[in-house]
Amino acid sequence: MAMDVVDYEIFGHEMQYVEVELDPGEAAIGEAGVMMYMQDGIQMDTIFGDGSAQQGGFFGKLMGAGKRLLTGESLFTTVYHNEGNGKRRVAFAAPYPGKIVPVDLTTVGGTLICQKDSFLAAAKGVSLGIAFQKKLGVGLFGGEGFIMQKLEGDGMAFIHAGGTLMEKTLAPGETLRVDTGCVVAFQPSVDFDIQYAGKIKTALFGGEGLFFATLTGPGKIWLQSLPLSRLADRIVMASRAAGGGGKEGGSLLSGFGLGAVLGDDE
Amino acid sequence: MSDAPLPARYYPPGGDAHGHPVRLAWDDGSLLILRDDGPGLRVPQHALTVEARGFNHEQWALSWPQDDSAHLLMVADRDIAPLKRVAPGLFQVGEQHRRAGRRRLGAGLALLVLLPLVLAGLLLLFLDPVVDRVVDHIPPEVEQQIGAVVLARTRAEGPLIEDGPAHAALQAIATRLARPGEKLDFYLAQRPTINAFAAPGGVVVVHSALLKEARSAEEVAGVLAHEIAHVELRHSMHQLARAAGLRLIVAALFGDYGTLGGWAAQLGELKFSRDAEREADLRALDRLAETGIDPQGLLAFFETLSRQEGADGLRPPALFSTHPATAERIEALRAVLARRPQSAAQAIGIDWQNVRTALAAP
Repeated sequence: MAMDVVDYEIFGHEMQYVEVELDPGEAAIGEAGVMMYMQDGIQMDTIFGDGSAQQGGFFGKLMGAGKRLLTGESLFTTVYHNEGNGKRRVAFAAPYPGKIVPVDLTTVGGTLICQKDSFLAAAKGVSLGIAFQKKLGVGLFGGEGFIMQKLEGDGMAFIHAGGTLMEKTLAPGETLRVDTGCVVAFQPSVDFDIQYAGKIKTALFGGEGLFFATLTGPGKIWLQSLPLSRLADRIVMASRAAGGGGKEGGSLLSGFGLGAVLGDDE
Repeated sequence: MSDAPLPARYYPPGGDAHGHPVRLAWDDGSLLILRDDGPGLRVPQHALTVEARGFNHEQWALSWPQDDSAHLLMVADRDIAPLKRVAPGLFQVGEQHRRAGRRRLGAGLALLVLLPLVLAGLLLLFLDPVVDRVVDHIPPEVEQQIGAVVLARTRAEGPLIEDGPAHAALQAIATRLARPGEKLDFYLAQRPTINAFAAPGGVVVVHSALLKEARSAEEVAGVLAHEIAHVELRHSMHQLARAAGLRLIVAALFGDYGTLGGWAAQLGELKFSRDAEREADLRALDRLAETGIDPQGLLAFFETLSRQEGADGLRPPALFSTHPATAERIEALRAVLARRPQSAAQAIGIDWQNVRTALAAP
């Protein structure tokens, strides 16, 4: 199955968008609701499921849509067709502060496992599947849940995650311990597991939780520096509605007034 | 191997993280590694170690040692079939690991699903004793407050009849039934439905239609004895506490109180309600015998009720009803009465026709 080759350009620093150039007849798929702008000549078509060619018939489409429900995405994807005569551009914007990573699926062996919700856009023909986490412990404590997303095909895919994204290639047997929730994507040859933090004291007061996620090579991995959930927690904590004082550096102490005294330097 | 060479990624010793795309073939007991960018390799089967690796163990790692490092090949599970056919022995251990992993997942998931169910079952099992304890500790003042609220709501819903022959008749029967010192208040409500209910705090409300349909004072006395039994046994308080407990368990199981969970809780409450009715029926017989009132009145009233139901043709199925089927109640009461010695009955002596005419008048 030949994929559409797309040229792209990423704009912005902390809040990015990607502009994809489509030749006449080419198409891209985008997560519903992320389109930012498109030029004349691009036709927008909303389809049920993920638009990859492999799903035939009504039942196949239904399965595709069911998968998208499980990965927490909307039931519909939008296909952007270039029906014009020249090259046309369409842009997709990231929904929260972070980085957009372009991944050429051919360079990673055709398959990429990624965090659910991280898909932004792709060349038409890339299929969005689910990868069910089969290790119970990892599903419960690994920070990514039981459902991950599997991108398959040989085109370009754009994934998005919070903060700064780090790309690293792990050598065979090389292990990296990662805070749970920071794993964005990895090649299927990478072993994703969890490891007990080791000391009760660290687990309770180290602020990293009971477990680390561990990634063991060989293969490429992508990590995010700021998971959206962490950002959201901080915003809620700092908001007046939740009783936050609007000051950083509070710990348990601030709840008893001592922190407020220490932190008050106005 | 007759099949086309299968794709793999080769990581030579020395920590090359990126690896090289290669193709694998099988030739006479050895693995052939065909490289586009370098010389090929030949590895005999006995040197190879194979394990399931990668995400969900969906990759196969083939390795062989060299010095104190190792060569590594990664092959996707979907590509491995031809190699598995020619050298099945290599994959035995890895397959065992994968099977064990699947079993662990199955057992873990089953536990995750069953544990909350078992906990909820235990809670249900201990609900009744807990509810009994809780109700025992509710002070009478609280009960009276709830009773006052129910009474206020009854008043708001429609008029009460607070004088006249019907009111007097009701009070007369009540006085005869009540034991000295019992806190009981009877109210007559102007309503077209045949009903009577007991609220917490000794509040008993009788609908006027019930008095109108009854053929004698004894029938009404039977119903009142039944309601007094509810008061005595504090059924309404039990029911409130039980409903609260059930809803708590269901909410814990179904998260937010779903429709299905709501139905389950309601069915549980209805079952409790039917058991309470049976208990109250039996208690009513005791009280009637104690106060010398003919228990046939209660039976006669149930027969009137069952005729009414037959005429209306509207009855919920037994499972969904607050009360047991009337026929079943009559049957049960007859059986009990047959076993008990007949006690001497004294007529209540109220001209019931007079009461019915008074109620029929607009």
